[in-house]
Amino acid sequence: MKYINRRTLLGTLFALAFIGLTTPALAQSEVTISHYFTGELGLKAFGEQMEKFEAATSYKMKNSPVGHEDFKTDILVRASGNSLPDVFSYWAGARVQFIADSESLKPIDQMWNQAGLDKIVAKTVADSATMYNGKRFLVPFNYHYSGMFYNTKVMADAGITEMPTDWNGFLALCKELKSNGITPIALGSKNRWPAQFWFDYLLLRSAGPDYRAQLMAGKASYDDPQVKQAMGMWKALVDAGYFIESANANTWTDASDQVARGDAAMTLMGTWITGYWNGLGLVPGADYDFFPFPSIMAGVPSASVGPVDGLVIGANTTNPKGAEEFLKFMVSDTGVQAAWSKAQGALSANVNVDASNYNSVMLKAFETVKNSDAFAFNYDLATPPPVAEVGLSMFARFMDDPSRVDEIMKQTAQDVAGAFKE
Amino acid sequence: MRGPSWSPRNKAGMERDRRFWRIVLLTPPLLVFAVLIVWPLLSSFYYSFTNWNGFSSNYQFVGLSNFQKIWTDRLFFQATINTIIWMVSALLLPTLLGLVLALLLDSKVRGRKFFKTIFYLPICLSAIVVGQIWIWIYQPNWGLLNTLIEEITGDRFRYAWLAKPDSALFSVIIAWSWQQTGLSMVIYLAGLTAIPSEILESSASEGATTWKRIWYIIIPLLVSSTTVVIALSLINSLKGFDILYVMTGGGPFNSSDTLAMHMYNESFKKYLIGYGSSISVVLFLIALIIIGIYFRQLRKVDQIYG
Amino acid sequence: MFGYKKTDGSDIYPWPVVIFIILSILSILFLAPTVGILLSSIKTTKDIALGELWTIPSELYFGNYVEVLDNPAVGQYFINTLLVTVPATFASIVLGSLAGYVFAKLPFRGSEILFLILVSGMFFPPQVILIPLFRLFNSIGLIDTLWPIFLVHTALGIPICSLLMRNFFSTIPAEVREAAILDGANEWQILTRIALPLSLSALAVLATLQFTWIWNDFLWPLIFTQSDEKRTIMIGIVNLRGQYTVAWGVQGALSLVASLPTIIIFLFFQRYFIKGMTMGAVKG
Repeated sequence: MKYINRRTLLGTLFALAFIGLTTPALAQSEVTISHYFTGELGLKAFGEQMEKFEAATSYKMKNSPVGHEDFKTDILVRASGNSLPDVFSYWAGARVQFIADSESLKPIDQMWNQAGLDKIVAKTVADSATMYNGKRFLVPFNYHYSGMFYNTKVMADAGITEMPTDWNGFLALCKELKSNGITPIALGSKNRWPAQFWFDYLLLRSAGPDYRAQLMAGKASYDDPQVKQAMGMWKALVDAGYFIESANANTWTDASDQVARGDAAMTLMGTWITGYWNGLGLVPGADYDFFPFPSIMAGVPSASVGPVDGLVIGANTTNPKGAEEFLKFMVSDTGVQAAWSKAQGALSANVNVDASNYNSVMLKAFETVKNSDAFAFNYDLATPPPVAEVGLSMFARFMDDPSRVDEIMKQTAQDVAGAFKE
Repeated sequence: MRGPSWSPRNKAGMERDRRFWRIVLLTPPLLVFAVLIVWPLLSSFYYSFTNWNGFSSNYQFVGLSNFQKIWTDRLFFQATINTIIWMVSALLLPTLLGLVLALLLDSKVRGRKFFKTIFYLPICLSAIVVGQIWIWIYQPNWGLLNTLIEEITGDRFRYAWLAKPDSALFSVIIAWSWQQTGLSMVIYLAGLTAIPSEILESSASEGATTWKRIWYIIIPLLVSSTTVVIALSLINSLKGFDILYVMTGGGPFNSSDTLAMHMYNESFKKYLIGYGSSISVVLFLIALIIIGIYFRQLRKVDQIYG
Repeated sequence: MFGYKKTDGSDIYPWPVVIFIILSILSILFLAPTVGILLSSIKTTKDIALGELWTIPSELYFGNYVEVLDNPAVGQYFINTLLVTVPATFASIVLGSLAGYVFAKLPFRGSEILFLILVSGMFFPPQVILIPLFRLFNSIGLIDTLWPIFLVHTALGIPICSLLMRNFFSTIPAEVREAAILDGANEWQILTRIALPLSLSALAVLATLQFTWIWNDFLWPLIFTQSDEKRTIMIGIVNLRGQYTVAWGVQGALSLVASLPTIIIFLFFQRYFIKGMTMGAVKG
């Protein structure tokens, strides 16, 4: 009878779905990795570095790239299923702190000491990015520095030869540019985070790294005069018309394009902008350059702001040996570090990487970080994720209507206090 | 060929037979549905009573405190209002526009096949690319929309559609409607072809004007097409998460958040799985109410036209 | 010129020329975004970055397409997407038809409530069940295979398929069914030999929609697959977005290539769309 056959067929189909499927047990030589280095440059360059590891050892990498917004979801879901990859990339700072607190990471102290990574990883980065709750969890794969990137030609045309080092000088620069009919500052805060560097630097340069660390940890309030002062300086810049209009409509690449085209003179951005600009054919030093965010208050230690891309090991790894080998190799192999930082427009945390690897602008960034008193994570990596969400929205709201700054800050203080209680 | 236990004279046997077939036919779909939808939903509801963060294996039961938090959550209320706006407009705009297009296309106009394909085309595209292209349409400096406005008015016009809280949600709704209109158009077109031409002819011979004919004869005959369109629109309005996610991500500063987006942000950006789950419980209750209303209306329609 | 021919009813709307013009204007408006995607696919990322998207290109740049077609992974993505989409479309329609038939023709006490629950399954954002489903599939070792994507899409399709099929089946006159029963047919035979053949249009609508939705989904493949050999075409598009930059041109080209199957499916099924609809659910 025909209908029985069809039903059998259907039954078989579903039986098949559940039976006959076995995942092969992972070979011990295989290391699974999940990372957010996607996009044309990221995928290819990361693949090449993994090949170097495979060639140097007997391990095979099982690669799983995920675009970085979805990556957060992906890692969370996998953690919830106790199925984190052996190795994954993550942003050093509050985010790693969060998953370390949740005991989702495997400490790497032993490997760190055996491999002598203290001598290999730059101290400023190692101190700020690798230790959590007294244990070592992360190796820095690369880091970025955020500075004021500008169009050299625009500056030259406006007759500016000296870049400012203090706040008055900076205000004078903006004024000069403005009077030449050039919008001084581009900002693309559509995705919110590009605005954070302004808050970071204004606060760091006026209230100092210690106060900021307290604010990020919930030990100070967004109602404090220190925060008010920083926001006040920011507002003064916007009110003076120094920022390009509709910042919230643009992404950071839009803002970079505005600077590249000469619609604006400069933008406060991370060193990845050099990778982007070089890709568009701009020449470092000739077409663009940067200066560090000017000092505001005398006596305040100079801090550099930026993110550190790290590699960590999942707590449930089935191949801890391979995972540790991978971490060790990726940070200590100078060939990997040189090629990777070049491809990403990033800085290497490996002190043995030859400085000649960098172009003139990156070299300057490297020196700046080296000579600064402290390295601080940018806002969304410095404060816990629920708080970061509140703060990032606050920046976007501020850029939309700076005149409501008092009201916005009051609201933020309240929301942040609530978020810290989570 | 007879069914296994069927007997024409035996009413009880017939009922037994029906019961047999109900079980046989319903078991596979319900089983799949129960295992893959109901069970996960219930376990997600379970998290709504906890403070789980997704990572940690330690979490506590916090009773109803997540639900209490909802009442003090400013963003939740904003998101609820936006969800209502979104659902209503995602229902009305594509439905009405689709109906208009279907009526126009039903006029045996030249090239209707061509037009139909053009209007349907957007559905074939993925949310990622549709969202991106609309970002470029709304781009303030060189976007298509502002360029056109500048061409027409001759004045400089740089309004940032997606960056302003007043216009962000509606701008996304326009993009969404653009994508969905083809769907209701196709269904209405099918409904229109089903209207017997005698009805139209007789009304025409009675001298009814075109408007009257559309309003009094055609539209009422399209009621059951409308129920299908509404069902699809309702379902789809939740799929609209993707395009909102790409275009504004709920921004600027949460002004275009819907409940789905809010739940996503709380769960996956703030790692508050417990609280996110409680939002989805509320969302689910709202959905149940809407479906209840839908079914009541459906039954009324069935009674009148069925 | 504006009248209507009363005799055959074919031309009862006035002003065909006006309608043609209105439709032309609307179709240009409708086509504009799609043209934008097309334009992005024949421009370099640099051009797009510099705001040159909406201008007519002086020369055609096919580098994006070359890059897409040269990428060996793209072929695998296509195969994987097909392997998920076709069976899941089929299975969800089959299961939806079974349920829809019972709710339409074999109602029982409580069946309305059951139906309501089933249909309410369409109304939650999929992220709600992300974590429980991941844990489920992880515990039975199906992560990084195509099975979870197929299963979840099948399950997610059941509500809409049952809803539409129920609406459709309920319009099949009771006499048709009674006659078949008198002829000795059982319910399975009525469903497969009478009800389904009468519902070709609903099946075509569902096949088109389900295919399109499943094809274009990126959430489930993103979560359930990990290795490149298992990924679908939408993940290919998503992963063109880097941490800081997006390859706009390539994304446009890949998106257009990726939407070809859904367009073909529509063109193929659309004749059934109209024809069958006239008999069933939309009868009015």
